[in-house]
Amino acid sequence: MPEISVQGLSKTFGREHALYDVSFSVRDKEFLTLLGPSGCGKTTTLMSIAGLQRPDEGMISCGDRVFFDRASRVFLAAEDRNLGMVVQSYAIWPHLTVFGNVAFPLKIRRMGKDAARRRVLEILELVEMAGYAERYPHELSGGQQQRVALARALVYSPAVLLLDEPFSNLDAKLRERARTWLKHLQSELGLTTIFVTHDQDEALSLSDRIVVMNAGAVLQVGAPEDIYHRPRTRFVAEFVGHCNVLAARAVAATSSGSTKLALEANGRPIIVSGEDLAAGDQVQLAVRPEAIHLDDHDDVAGGNDAAGENSYPAEVRAVSFLGDHYLYELDLDGLALTVTDARSHAGPAVTVRIPPSACRVLSS
Amino acid sequence: MSQPAEPGLSAVAIASPAAWAPAEGRGVRRLVPESWLQAFIWVLVLVAVLAPVLPLVYASVQSQPLYTPGRVFTLAAYRQLFAAPAFRTAALNTLEFAGLTTAFSVLLGGGFAVLCGRTNVLGRRVYARLFIVPILLPPLGLILGWNALYGPGGYAHDFVNQTLHIPFDLTTVPGMAVLGTAVAVPVVFLVCRAALSGIDSALENSARSAGASPLRALARITVPMLRPALLNSGLLVFTLSIEALGIPLLLGSPQGHDLIASYLYNTWSSAITPDPPVVSAGATVLLAAACLLLLLRSRLLGDQARFVSVGRPGAAAGDGVQLGTFTRVLFGALLALYLLATTFAPIAALALSSVVYQLTPLIAPWHLFTLSNWRMATQGVFAHSIQNSVEIAVVGAALTAAVVALATAVAHRSRFALRRSVPFLLLFPRAIPGIIIGIGFFWTFLLVNPPGSALRNSIWGIMLALSIRSVTLAYFVMSSSFATVSESLDDAARSGGANWWTTMTRIVLPILRPALFVSLILLFISILNDYDPALFLVTPGHEIMGVAMLDAAQQGTTGPVAALAMVQVAITVVAIAVGGRLFATRIRGSRHA
Repeated sequence: MPEISVQGLSKTFGREHALYDVSFSVRDKEFLTLLGPSGCGKTTTLMSIAGLQRPDEGMISCGDRVFFDRASRVFLAAEDRNLGMVVQSYAIWPHLTVFGNVAFPLKIRRMGKDAARRRVLEILELVEMAGYAERYPHELSGGQQQRVALARALVYSPAVLLLDEPFSNLDAKLRERARTWLKHLQSELGLTTIFVTHDQDEALSLSDRIVVMNAGAVLQVGAPEDIYHRPRTRFVAEFVGHCNVLAARAVAATSSGSTKLALEANGRPIIVSGEDLAAGDQVQLAVRPEAIHLDDHDDVAGGNDAAGENSYPAEVRAVSFLGDHYLYELDLDGLALTVTDARSHAGPAVTVRIPPSACRVLSS
Repeated sequence: MSQPAEPGLSAVAIASPAAWAPAEGRGVRRLVPESWLQAFIWVLVLVAVLAPVLPLVYASVQSQPLYTPGRVFTLAAYRQLFAAPAFRTAALNTLEFAGLTTAFSVLLGGGFAVLCGRTNVLGRRVYARLFIVPILLPPLGLILGWNALYGPGGYAHDFVNQTLHIPFDLTTVPGMAVLGTAVAVPVVFLVCRAALSGIDSALENSARSAGASPLRALARITVPMLRPALLNSGLLVFTLSIEALGIPLLLGSPQGHDLIASYLYNTWSSAITPDPPVVSAGATVLLAAACLLLLLRSRLLGDQARFVSVGRPGAAAGDGVQLGTFTRVLFGALLALYLLATTFAPIAALALSSVVYQLTPLIAPWHLFTLSNWRMATQGVFAHSIQNSVEIAVVGAALTAAVVALATAVAHRSRFALRRSVPFLLLFPRAIPGIIIGIGFFWTFLLVNPPGSALRNSIWGIMLALSIRSVTLAYFVMSSSFATVSESLDDAARSGGANWWTTMTRIVLPILRPALFVSLILLFISILNDYDPALFLVTPGHEIMGVAMLDAAQQGTTGPVAALAMVQVAITVVAIAVGGRLFATRIRGSRHA
C-alpha cells in the first residue's frame, strides 16, 4: 500500500483559517493519528484526503496518484480515490441490510454476484458480524453498527483506511475493547490508516505516529512516546496528558551538560539536563506529574537534602484518590504543582524531587 | 470481539490485497461526467419554468397575435389595457378582494392556530387535521358547494339573510372574499402552526407564573411572537388572492363583479379578433405584481421563511395554556361551527345537489331525487374529462416528482456551479398566476413547433402546464426531507466508489421513499384539481374535469356539474386515504429506527 503525502494544505471558511499549511506523510502500513481539540482542522484534513472537501492550497498524493494539486488544478473525485472511510455517525444506509450495505461498494465496482457474496460474507466474518447479514441497521447496537461501517470500508480493499472518531459514540467499556480489536485488525491486515480523534488516550494507545494539530496548524509529529515525553510546545504538553509548566530563567551551564535555572515563581534553583540553553534565556519547562518524586518530609530530613538535586520542601494542598494512584496538588513556595504517586503521603509537609532529565524546555 | 479468531483473520489478510484490489484498474463506469448530468437537470428546470413566461411577455409588446405576419413592436396593448375602464374596475375589485381575504384569513387562521396549537381547547387535535381539508379539496367543488348553499337561491341564503339578518351576497366582492377566506385560512393556519411548534411553551408558562391569565398570556406572549408568521402568511394569501379565477368566474362575473383574472379570461374568450395582445399585457402586469409581492416577502422574511410551511410535528410544546372548562368548550363549539359552515355544509350541499333536479329550500329534496345527474356526469364529454384528468394527474405527478427530486438533489447535494439558483427556479412557479401559465404556454406551443402543435392537440400540453404549476409544492416536500438525511450517508457512498448519480439514485432517494410518495400524492391531488392554466389550452376532445365543469356551470347546468365535482372530491379523498396509509406505514417503520 502506498504512502500518503499531504503538503502545504490550506483552507479558509470565510475569514476563518480552517487549515494553515498542513504537511505530513503517512507511511505504508502505518497507523497515523490526527490529534487535536474540536475545531483544530483534523476532520477538515481527513475530508480533504477523502475528497469530500476541497482545500484552497496544497497537494495530496497517494503513491504516484495525485489526489489534489492546486498548482496543476487536479482534483480527483472522492469515488475515484479508492479509500475506505468510517465516520463518527457510522453513516450506515438505513434502507439496506447489513449485507446490502457491505455489498454496495462491490456492486459499484461491478464485481460478479457470487464473488461479491463470498467477499461480503468473508469480511463480515472478519468483523465478527457474519450472523447479522440480513439485519437492518436499526436492529443493531452501536458497536455492531461500527463494525458494519468498518466492513463496508474494508470490503473493496481500499488503499488507505480513514477513521473519523469512530469510537466516540461507544460507551467507555466498549470503546476500550473496540480499540484493542481495531489495532489488532489493522496490524494483521497491514492497513495504512489515518485516524482522527480528540482523545489522547486513544491516540497514544493506537498510533504508530501522532500528528498534533491546533487552530488549523500542525504542531508536532512523532511517535506516541516522543509526543508524550518530548513535547515541543506548551499546547502539546498540556493537551497530551497532564503537565506542569514552570517558568524559569537560565543562570549558567554546569559541567556535565546540564543547565542551572531559577524558577520564576520562587527563585529556587532547578537543574535541567539534555537541553541547550544560554544564560539569561527565559524558558518554560514541562514536567509530567508522574515524573516527579514525592517523599514524606521526615525521610528527607535524614540528610538526603544536600545530595538530592532539585529537591524542595512543599505543602500538600489537596489529595484525590484515583484508584491506582493519588493525585496531589502541592504548593512549592508559591508555585502550584501537580504530582501523581502510587503511595499515600500523610503530609502536609512533603519533599518533591524533580529529576533533571524529566524537564523539557518548551519552545515559545 | 475482544479475541478475534486468529486463523480466519490471517487467511483473509493474505487473500485480500492481491485478490480484491479492483478499484484503480476497473474503476467506475462513467458515461457522462456528473456535472453534465446536473447541468442537464438544471437546464430542464430552467426551460420548464421560463417557457410560459418569456413568450407571454414577448406577445404583450407586439401589435398582432404571434401567428400573424407583419407584427411590429409596440406598447399599444398596455396603453389599451390601462385605458379600459373595465380593467381599472377589475383591478380595484381585485385589491379589495385580496385585501379583505388577507385580513379575514390572517385573523381567523392565526387565531385557530393559537387555539389548536397552544391551548387545551376541546377537540383541538381533530380540528388541527380538519382545518387543512379545504386545501386538499378541489377548489371548484368548494366554490360550487358554497354557491349551492349561500349563493342567490341557495339552500341557506334565506336563513342567513332573513333569519340571521346578515346581509350576505356571495356574488359581491366582499361576498367572494368570504369564500376566499375559507380557502385561505388553511394556508395561514399551517404557517402559524409550524411557527408555534418552534416556540417554547415555557415562555407562556412563565407568563402564567408571573400572574397572567391564560388568554392574556396568549395575547401578550404567543401572538406577538407569531408576527413574522402572520406577515409571511398574509403576503402569501394576498399573492394567491390576486390571481383568483374560479371564484369570480362562477360567482361575481355574471353579476358584473370581475377580478383581473376573470376580466382577462372573458376578454380573451369574447374578443372579436382572437387572442388579443391586450390579454398578454394584462397577464404580464399580473405576473409582475405577483413577482414583486413574493420578492417583498422573501426580503421581509429572509431565507428560512420560504420553507416555513414545513412544520416540526411533535415538538415538545407541552399542554400549552389551560383554559377554563367553559372557555374551552365554547371555543371548541365555535371552531366546530366554523368548520361546518365553511367546509362540510358546502360539500354536503354539493353532494345533495348532485342527486336532485334542483336544490331549493322551497321543496324537500327527496321529492326531487334523481340519478340523471350522475348518469350525465359519467357520459360523453364529462366521462372523457374524468379519464383525461386522471391520466394527466398520474403521469404529471410521476414526472414532476422525479424531476423535482433530482433538481432538489442538484440544489442541496451537489457541487454544481449553479446549484444555488435551483431553489429560486423551483419557487418561481408559485409566483406565476395560473392563467398566465395558460396564456404563456398557448404562445409557447405556437412559437416552438415541434413539439408545440403536438402538445397543443393532446392532453400532454395541459399536463405540462399543470405540472409546472405544482413544482413548488413538490419542492417544499423534498427540500425539507433532504435536510433530514445526513450528508455523511452521501460521503460514505462517495468514498465507497459511487458517483453522484449512483449516490442519489441508490442511496439518498431510496431513503427518501416516504417523502417521494408524499410528494407524489400531493402532486396528484394538486394536478387533478387544478384548472386555471387549462382554460386557455383546452381543445375539443381534450377537456379536463375542471374546465368541463366551469364551461357547464357558466351555461347554467348545475346538477351534472355537482356530480362531476363529487367525482373529483371522491378521487381526492381516495388519494388522501392511500397517502394517509403510506404516512402510517412510514410512522410504523420509523418507530423501529
